[in-house]
Amino acid sequence: MDSRRNRPTPSDRRHLIEPMQSNNTIPPAAPEPAILLPRDDAETASAWRSHRVRLGILAGVVALAVTYMVFAAFPGNAQFFVTVSEFRNDASLQDGQTLRVSGALVPDTFQRQNGSTLSQFIMGDKEPDVPGVAVDSPQLRASYVGVLPDLFFNPHSEIILEGSYDPHSQTFVTDNILVKCPSKYQSLQAEYPDAIPGDNS
Amino acid sequence: MASPGRRAAGGNSLLRAARSASLWFLLLTAALLLADGYLIFMVAPTDAVLGDVQRIFYIHVPISIISFLGFFVCAVAGIAYLIRRSERWDRLAHASAEVGVIFVTLALVTGVIWARPVWGVWWTWEPRLTTTLILWLIYVAYLMIRHYAPTPQQGRSWSAVVGIIGFIDVPIVYYSVQWWRSIHPVQVIGPEAADDALEPIISRILIFSLIAILMLACYLVMERMMLRAAEDNITELRRQQQDASPDY
Repeated sequence: MDSRRNRPTPSDRRHLIEPMQSNNTIPPAAPEPAILLPRDDAETASAWRSHRVRLGILAGVVALAVTYMVFAAFPGNAQFFVTVSEFRNDASLQDGQTLRVSGALVPDTFQRQNGSTLSQFIMGDKEPDVPGVAVDSPQLRASYVGVLPDLFFNPHSEIILEGSYDPHSQTFVTDNILVKCPSKYQSLQAEYPDAIPGDNS
Repeated sequence: MASPGRRAAGGNSLLRAARSASLWFLLLTAALLLADGYLIFMVAPTDAVLGDVQRIFYIHVPISIISFLGFFVCAVAGIAYLIRRSERWDRLAHASAEVGVIFVTLALVTGVIWARPVWGVWWTWEPRLTTTLILWLIYVAYLMIRHYAPTPQQGRSWSAVVGIIGFIDVPIVYYSVQWWRSIHPVQVIGPEAADDALEPIISRILIFSLIAILMLACYLVMERMMLRAAEDNITELRRQQQDASPDY
């Protein structure tokens, strides 16, 4: 790219053309003055500095972005979500702050008015690897306006609600619903031997 | 040092042999990828819970693992370059970082496509997604730093350092689903996977897919290394030509 830097400057060339005097009045070419600046070339120096500034800005932007993402993903000590019982046992989470609560849909609690996208349901703790709600789990009433994910009603699903608790109506007002997929993949035949292929409702 | 021009002329038959070997390798890879597509869409069972969309798993998981492998090769070649200062190590590091960035980009894209129907969102700031995005940024920075450095030599050294330190994020991505609560399922492959995480047919197709996509990645790395070698030769020839010309 910048091949000029590698070429001898005119002063270097003079050494090549005129042989050095024997009494050494002309000192031999000084060693490289600095590792960082190969020649006392103002242009090179400023180009190097501007590279350095650009690198510094780049590093700063990347560091800020990474820090933001780390904090967005792990605010303080908090995890990505709390369970229904953790939420119930910690009053400080119930002051209307935005958070995620994970659990499972309590069977037969889902209600939706005809012609409306407003739905209300009750959540309980999800027992790992078992469909449905854990026995004796605390419950949390929740409301949601919008389209539900496909796997919302699947008993294997772990449901994560994003939103905030409303102390007046004692309801968790959900902004977004996420569905966590199972940690095992199983074929339709293995799981439901009688099921019609393709029908996974 | 032998002139690169003469080296290229003398190595013509060698180059041709390498070309034809890489063509055969490419054809074999293409055949395996076609067979992989058949296995994924025609042979693999439909998932009991997720349905047909789960088939993206056979692409998403292998390309993620191979992107990790690419960054591992990049880090090892970076260490070797810093010790030996050999161009060949730098070419390997550069090529595997580029292929790694492509693969991690594809992992993010296929993940987003899979997340929308299953999780209900395109993206969420959960541990594995966040750490994977950081991984992407680290190795994009690796590629940028080569071109931002004042001299090519500095670019090689600096990017080697970024590649070595950046590799720390790879185990973090892998263990993120275990260390923190995540919406990702726990590991189904690798040292932390449960023995019965996958049915035999599913894991066999996954391994086939892994091999086919690994061959594609190897082909891309080899091809990129040859291209880098050609680029370096041209740069060297240009430099010699400029040095030889009397009017400067």
